[in-house]
Amino acid sequence: MKRDHREISGATDYSSGSGSRADSSSIGNSIKGKLWEEDRDAGGMDELLAVLGYRVRSSDMADVAQKLEMLEMVMGTAQEDGISHLSSDTVHYNPSDLSGWVQSMLTELNGPPTPNLDPVLADSDFNSSNPQHRQRNQSRVFHDDSEYDLRAIPGVAAYPPPKSDPDSDSTRKRVKTSMSSSGSDGDGSGSSFSSPQENGIPGTVTESSTRPVVLVDSQETGVRLVHTLMACAEAVQQDNLKLADALVKHVGLLAASQTGAMRKVATYFAEALARRIYRIFPQDSLDPSYTDILQMHFYETCPYLKFAHFTANQAILEAFATASRVHVIDFGLKQGMQWPALMQALALRPGGPPAFRLTGIGPPQLDNTDALQQVGWKLAQLADTIGIEFEFRGFVANSLADLEAEMLEIRPPEVEVVAVNSVFELHRLLARPGGFEKVISSIKAMKPKILTVVEQEANHNGPVFLDRFTEALHYYSSLFDSLEGSGSGVAPPSQDLAMSELYLGRQICNVVACEGMERVERHEPLSQWRSRMETAGFSAVHLGSNAYKQASMLLALFAGGDGYRVDENNGCLMLGWHTRPLIATSAWRLATTELDKSI
Amino acid sequence: MVQNHHRGCHRQGNHETVGESKEKRPKFFINDHVDILIEILKRLDCRSLCVAASVCRLWCTIARNDSLWENLCFRHASPPPTSVRSVVLALGGYKRLYMGCVRPVRRRLGRARRASWAGDEVQLSLSLFCVDYYERLGGSNSNGRLVVGESSPSSSLMFLCKPVNV
Repeated sequence: MKRDHREISGATDYSSGSGSRADSSSIGNSIKGKLWEEDRDAGGMDELLAVLGYRVRSSDMADVAQKLEMLEMVMGTAQEDGISHLSSDTVHYNPSDLSGWVQSMLTELNGPPTPNLDPVLADSDFNSSNPQHRQRNQSRVFHDDSEYDLRAIPGVAAYPPPKSDPDSDSTRKRVKTSMSSSGSDGDGSGSSFSSPQENGIPGTVTESSTRPVVLVDSQETGVRLVHTLMACAEAVQQDNLKLADALVKHVGLLAASQTGAMRKVATYFAEALARRIYRIFPQDSLDPSYTDILQMHFYETCPYLKFAHFTANQAILEAFATASRVHVIDFGLKQGMQWPALMQALALRPGGPPAFRLTGIGPPQLDNTDALQQVGWKLAQLADTIGIEFEFRGFVANSLADLEAEMLEIRPPEVEVVAVNSVFELHRLLARPGGFEKVISSIKAMKPKILTVVEQEANHNGPVFLDRFTEALHYYSSLFDSLEGSGSGVAPPSQDLAMSELYLGRQICNVVACEGMERVERHEPLSQWRSRMETAGFSAVHLGSNAYKQASMLLALFAGGDGYRVDENNGCLMLGWHTRPLIATSAWRLATTELDKSI
Repeated sequence: MVQNHHRGCHRQGNHETVGESKEKRPKFFINDHVDILIEILKRLDCRSLCVAASVCRLWCTIARNDSLWENLCFRHASPPPTSVRSVVLALGGYKRLYMGCVRPVRRRLGRARRASWAGDEVQLSLSLFCVDYYERLGGSNSNGRLVVGESSPSSSLMFLCKPVNV
């Protein structure tokens, strides 16, 4: 019987064996279960418990084991007495607070705990931070402790198991069932020790347990996945990189048991966290043409970019209502997908089309091809087809802040009406101090009739990493959900979908892994942009009902259109998935005070 | 032809020759009156028009005429300004506009459609049509001439092709 081996200390070969067996349990909730397993698998228990973080003297081990055994028997009798909730409830315990846990168990069962149990537990050298842990937020599943080394974490991190067990969440339930089975057997010793061996092997417990075992409860795994992600982020925030590393690997395990959007989001976030931990930062501007391709797929898969383009175009169209020459400055030309629709609308304008001039700004290409010129060429061909006078100019700039208004050859407002368009570009300027202000002053020098801004509706620019992480997790979960929804059930996951997800994944990586100037995805919510714009001297232009109508129709076209929502927010339009707004379009013009200043 | 058979029935199933009919009463053969035929075909819906196109060569030629499809596009909307025609023809024609954009848009919006949307549907379809043309433009080849891909549907309209989960 395993119990006899308990007396043996220093049997190191056991540690690896039981360690691998212990891997089957997941971190947070089944630490308690692991405790049972570790104890029963015995061997060099002093070392084993030390691995867990409990410094228990070998000489005390026998007592501790005895107490635990008593507890188990009590639990078993409780089961017979019908207090079955104790063996079936899912509860979270602080794994390092062993005495507290034991106390609470015994209190529930027997009233005041047996006196001989306490002194043993009080005497043994438990982790010195224990009382400190107790005072901390008890709802935490486990605690940050710098004394933990990697082996402290059961799971893949320590000893990669020969067969990975994605159904780790059910282990705890299995442990409970094993206890209950032992209870119903009435045999406190035998079956309770035999079943933990089976715990290491998924699925076999079902035969030995007397209660039906819930296998994978993916919702619970999902919750656990989120908790683990959050815990990892917190560990990173507190610079506890070892713990974070272990947790990140665990996230990978948990994510494997999920499907769909949750899995993908978790995978991307885990990768980003791993990059942050190991300091392998992704290069942001690796290949602009690659990001363009990804964005094209994103454009085709889901309505966000189309929504952005159509609503911005509507605002620009209304601003251009009576002009005979118009000039649009696009801060991020990319493939120029926004402009065909505007050109067509201008061509069909009552009163005839104006002369259309487009200035496109883009990043430098790595292979020295002039991508901007190619786009301009295509647009010129389109303009020729539909009969619009067209002029194009491309500007290559590393950052918008490098631009000066004079470079763009703005013509006076009597001759030409100017519109400035920025789709997902302004937030990048926040990475560099003073960048945004410089660009705003250049925009003011251009004297635009209208400035259209489309930005993500999220707060990914807070000072605290953990807050950013939480926000990003919620935001990208909604985004990925909507991607799933739009392609759901129609065709096997297409390349488009994968590329769109990759496009978003790169954003996730930037938000989580990068810092300083590298972190360019500094999304801010509409309210913050509003205050920035108003401080800078712009006043809002309401996007009329036409824009709203067009946006609603556009969304209705998309499969999964029921999930998308257009909301109007003080004249700005927001597109969201179910209740969560995801992107916001707003339009601005120079406030009259600014106009007076310029005159 | 319908009229032909109709008259034939009156004749006790006697299949009449052309010569006989000319003696007895003037025969009305729709294919002789193409303008009436066009007027009739103009009022058909998309499916009937496609079926009609497989009746005979004359009907096929007429059904391919873009003006019929123009009527289909603007059937429930107010008549468009004249400038639309030149733009649409330049972008690929009304048949393409209808089959590629207007029909899927109307079908998709059918559930959620409101009366005021009819004109806007065409507007939206036009915009999407234009984007589609632009995407099919492709890059310039070495001669500097632009290649317009006719056959492959561009991906920007793929979302319209995917069936919607009802």
